Amino acid sequence: MPKVTRLFIKSGLVYLFLGIAMALVAELPQVNTGALLLPVYWHMIVIGWVTQVIMGVSIWMFPRRKRSRENIESVPALFSFWTLNSGLILRFTAEPFILLFQGNSAIISVVVISSLLHIAAVLFYLTEIWPRVFMRKYVKRKKQ
Amino acid sequence: MPAQSVWMIRLSLAWLFLATLIGSILLVHKAVELHPAMWSLLPLHFETAIWGWAVQLAMGTAYWIFPRHLVGTKRGPEKPVCWVLILFNTGLITLLAGYLHQSVLPLKLTGRGVMTFTVIIFGILMWSRVKSYSSHTH
Repeated sequence: MPKVTRLFIKSGLVYLFLGIAMALVAELPQVNTGALLLPVYWHMIVIGWVTQVIMGVSIWMFPRRKRSRENIESVPALFSFWTLNSGLILRFTAEPFILLFQGNSAIISVVVISSLLHIAAVLFYLTEIWPRVFMRKYVKRKKQ
Repeated sequence: MPAQSVWMIRLSLAWLFLATLIGSILLVHKAVELHPAMWSLLPLHFETAIWGWAVQLAMGTAYWIFPRHLVGTKRGPEKPVCWVLILFNTGLITLLAGYLHQSVLPLKLTGRGVMTFTVIIFGILMWSRVKSYSSHTH
């Protein structure tokens, strides 16, 4: 399993735990967050867990045109991991406070950077995975 | 990888990009109002992320990787899967158009109906491939 896959899956497991824990906390009658935390824990589950596991496993399992160590530990895949996770951390830090501090320039900056990091992460992932989605041509071996 | 899986996975990646783009715009819109009608894109974000990306990727990967038949065509009838691919994405586009033009025709219902039909067909086609070779008698 490539290093980047391990990073994606382990990070995914952390988000799964955080997402389910946050959903539990939001259900407590003493904690009245309303819809404030709803997008946070949904994105923890859907991007943090589901999408990261899909990304990690596809980077590991999808066929490669060339088999070499360099190809296995690819740079776009690593960039995808780091941009996605830094984007998610910024997002989860800022998102619950957007409505509380409407118009705050620091919050706006963090949100904009986080959005750009999400887009960059998907583009890096596409750079890695798109060339690996191909039809394998079967070449009949000549009988010796 | 069979052609049907290649196209399902490529289309799912395209939907992933679109879902992320819409989601990112909505996140920014939450902090700085970009346009009053921007929240109408929220259902498009859900639908593209769930159906376009996650479900279609799972369908494409399942068709590629599930156990193949030992007799006849390896992955079962091929043309119906091509139609599943085309109709599923057409249904999704129709559904999204329905969200954007709510007064025009029953687009949402049509889109959902087409998608439901294709998912049923896909399920029927895949049913016989959910098996173990060890239980197969030669």
